[in-house]
Amino acid sequence: MTRIPAAALTAESVRMRTLVIEDEVKTAKFLKKGLSESGFSVEVSGDGLDGLHLALEVEFDLVILDVMIPSLDGWGVLMLLRQAGRQTPVLFLTARDAIHERVRGLELGADDYLVKPFAFSELLARVRSLLRRGPQRPQEVIRMADLEIDLRRQRVTRSGQRLELTFKEFLLLSLLAQHAGEVLSRTLIAEAVWDMNFDSDTNVVDVNVRRLRSKVDDPFPQKLIRTVRGAGYVMEAD
Amino acid sequence: MSWKPTDSFAPVSRLGRTLAFRLTAGYALAGLLLVLLATASLYLLTVTEMERGTRLFIADKFNVLRTLLRERPNDWEALHEEIELETAARRYEQFYIRLLDERNQPLLVTPGMEERLDLGQLTRQSGTHPGRTLRMKGRNGRIFRVATATAPVGSPPAQTDTIQIAIDVSQQEEFLQRYRLWFFSILLGTFVALPLIGYQIARRGIRPVEDMAATARRISSTNLRERILPDGYPFELASLAGTFNQMLDRLEDSFERISRFSADIAHDLRTPVNNIRGEAEVGLARARTITEYREVLESCLEEAVRLSDLIGDLLFLARAESPFAHVRRESVNIVELLDGMREYYEASAAEAGVSLTTSANRAPVIAQLDRTLVQRAVSNLVSNAVAHTPPGGSVVLAASSEGSAVHIEVSDTGVGIPSEALPKVFDRFFRLDSSRSQASGGTGLGLAIVQGIMLLHGGKVEIASQLGQGTRVTLYMPVAEQGHAQWSITT
Repeated sequence: MTRIPAAALTAESVRMRTLVIEDEVKTAKFLKKGLSESGFSVEVSGDGLDGLHLALEVEFDLVILDVMIPSLDGWGVLMLLRQAGRQTPVLFLTARDAIHERVRGLELGADDYLVKPFAFSELLARVRSLLRRGPQRPQEVIRMADLEIDLRRQRVTRSGQRLELTFKEFLLLSLLAQHAGEVLSRTLIAEAVWDMNFDSDTNVVDVNVRRLRSKVDDPFPQKLIRTVRGAGYVMEAD
Repeated sequence: MSWKPTDSFAPVSRLGRTLAFRLTAGYALAGLLLVLLATASLYLLTVTEMERGTRLFIADKFNVLRTLLRERPNDWEALHEEIELETAARRYEQFYIRLLDERNQPLLVTPGMEERLDLGQLTRQSGTHPGRTLRMKGRNGRIFRVATATAPVGSPPAQTDTIQIAIDVSQQEEFLQRYRLWFFSILLGTFVALPLIGYQIARRGIRPVEDMAATARRISSTNLRERILPDGYPFELASLAGTFNQMLDRLEDSFERISRFSADIAHDLRTPVNNIRGEAEVGLARARTITEYREVLESCLEEAVRLSDLIGDLLFLARAESPFAHVRRESVNIVELLDGMREYYEASAAEAGVSLTTSANRAPVIAQLDRTLVQRAVSNLVSNAVAHTPPGGSVVLAASSEGSAVHIEVSDTGVGIPSEALPKVFDRFFRLDSSRSQASGGTGLGLAIVQGIMLLHGGKVEIASQLGQGTRVTLYMPVAEQGHAQWSITT
C-alpha cells in the first residue's frame, strides 16, 4: 500500500533529471513526452553502452532502464553502473515478468520494476515514489478548494458542511486528495483502499468512485474528482 | 570420414542392447546348460553303474574261488570248471582267471589269457594294489579290468594261493565311446538349434511391440487419430496398447483444446486491435475537432487496457500451469478475507440491487495460502455472482474447514448455468452469452484463472448450478502445504 503525500511533489520534481534507456522508439518517445510534461528533464538513449556512458558522465536522479536493449542489456548496464559506485535509483522496464527475472533485477540493485504493458500513470507513481527522499511528515489536514479532509479525525467537510462517508469512502477520498493532480489507475486504487493486489474487476472501483462523488461532488457546483478515460481518476481543483 | 577403432565394435554393442538378442542369448544359454547337465549326469551314472557291475562280478568270482580253495582244496575238477570252462561259455564280456601258487607258479589258467594279456605286467601292477580293480590294456587293443586277491588253501590253511582275474570290458568301453559321440552331437545340435529357436521366439514375442512402435512413429500432431488395435495381443501387451491409446486420447483432447484456445485468443486479441486500428484510421481520415480526437484516443486507450488485461490473464494462466510455478504461502484467516471481499463488492452489489453477505459462522478458518491469489479467485467468483444475479437476489460467501481442507463457497440466486454448459465453464474463453460478457468487460478467463489458482494450491473447484435457481461454486484447498498431493479437478 503506497501512501504518497501530495505536497511539494511537483515543485520537487521540477529539476529532476531522468535518463531513459530504451531502444523501442515509440516507447522512448512517449516516456520522454509524458515525463517532460510531468516536470522532469529527460534524456533518452537507445543503446546499452551509450546509456551507461551517459549515466556515468552525468549525475541523474533516476534511470529508467529497459532490459532488452542493444549492445549491452539492462542487467549489464545496471551491474556496471553499481560497480562504478553509482547509487542512482533504477527503475526496470521489462516485458517478461517471470518471478526469477524480477528477483534478479532487484538483486542486481534495481530499485523497482514495471512490467510492460504498463499504465503511464503507474510509471509516474513509481518514479515519484523513487525520487522521494527521506521520510515525509504525514499531513494532518488536506485542503482543496472548499474541501477539507482531517486525516487524523477522519472528518470531511465541504463548504463548512460535514460529509458522512463510510470508512472506505474516506480512504478513497484521502488517497485521491493526497495524490492531487496525479492520475490514479483503478488497479492502484483497489490496491490502496481494499488491499486487492491484483487486476481485479475494476468496475467495482468505478461504482465506489461514483458513490463518493454523489456525496463529495454532486451537491456542489465545483467538481473535484475527474475521470480520465482509460486511465483512472484524478482529483484537482481546476 | 576417418576410421575410428570404436566403429567396428559399435554394431556389436548395439546388437547387445537389442531385446531380441538378449532373449535369444538367455534362451540358448539356459537350454545348453540343461542339455549339458542332463547328458553329463546320464553319462556319469552309466559309467558308475558299469564299473560297479564289474567290481561286483569280480568280487563274486573271488568269493567262489576262495570258498572252493578253502573248503575243497583238492577238488581240481570244480576249480577247472570255474576257471577254464565257465569263461569259455560266455560270448560277451569274457573274463579270464589265473591261479598261482605261493611261488607264483601258475596252477590253472583260463585258455587264451596269455595271448590276450601281458601276464607279467598284470602281476606287477595288481600285485602292488591287492584287492583293487585296475584298468589295463590287452595285447590286441582290448581293454580289461584286472584284480588280484590271495586265497588260503585248505582249513586250516596249508598255503596261500593268488587269484588273478581279468574281465574284457571292451564292449563297455565301446558303448561309452558311442555314448560320448552322441553326447557331443546332441550338444553341438542344441548349440546350433537353440539360438535359432530362441531368436524365433524372441522375434515373435517382440513383434507386437514393434507394431506399436511403428504406430507410434506414424503419430504426429496432424495425425492424432491413429490407434493401436488391442486385438490379437497377449494380455500384458494389450494393456500396454490400451494405456497407450488412452494417452493418445488425452493428447488428442489437449491438442483440440489448444487449437480451440488459439483460435479464441486470436479472436479476442483481434477485436480490440481491430477497434484501435479502425478508430485511429477513421479518426485520421479527415480533420476533426479537439473533442473528437480526444474521444478517439480515449477509446483507443480503453481497448489497449483491455488488451493488456487479456495478456496479463493469459500469462497468469500459463504460469499457473507451469511446473515451476510457486505459491507464496502465509497464514490467512479466510473469514477475514471474505469480509474484505464483501466490503470491496458491497457498493457494486448494492447498485445492482443484490444483497451480498458473509455467512453467520464467524469462527476463524485459517490455512496456509497465497493471500493475493485466493483473493483473486474469490474476487472472480463474486464478480460473476453479482453480475449474473437479478435485482432482489442474494450472494452469500461462506468459509468452513473440514479435516485437512478448507472450503470457500460462493452461492447466488442468479440465472444459473444450463447443465450441458457446466463442464465447460472452466475452459478458457468459455462464455455462456458471448455478447453480454464482452460488454461487461470480462475476458472469459475468470473461471479458468480460479481453477489455475486452485491447482497451484493443490486444491480443486466444484460448481453446481440450477437454471433459474442459482449457482454455487466451492473451492477446496488443503490447510497446509502438501508435498505433491494430487487433487483431481472435477467440474
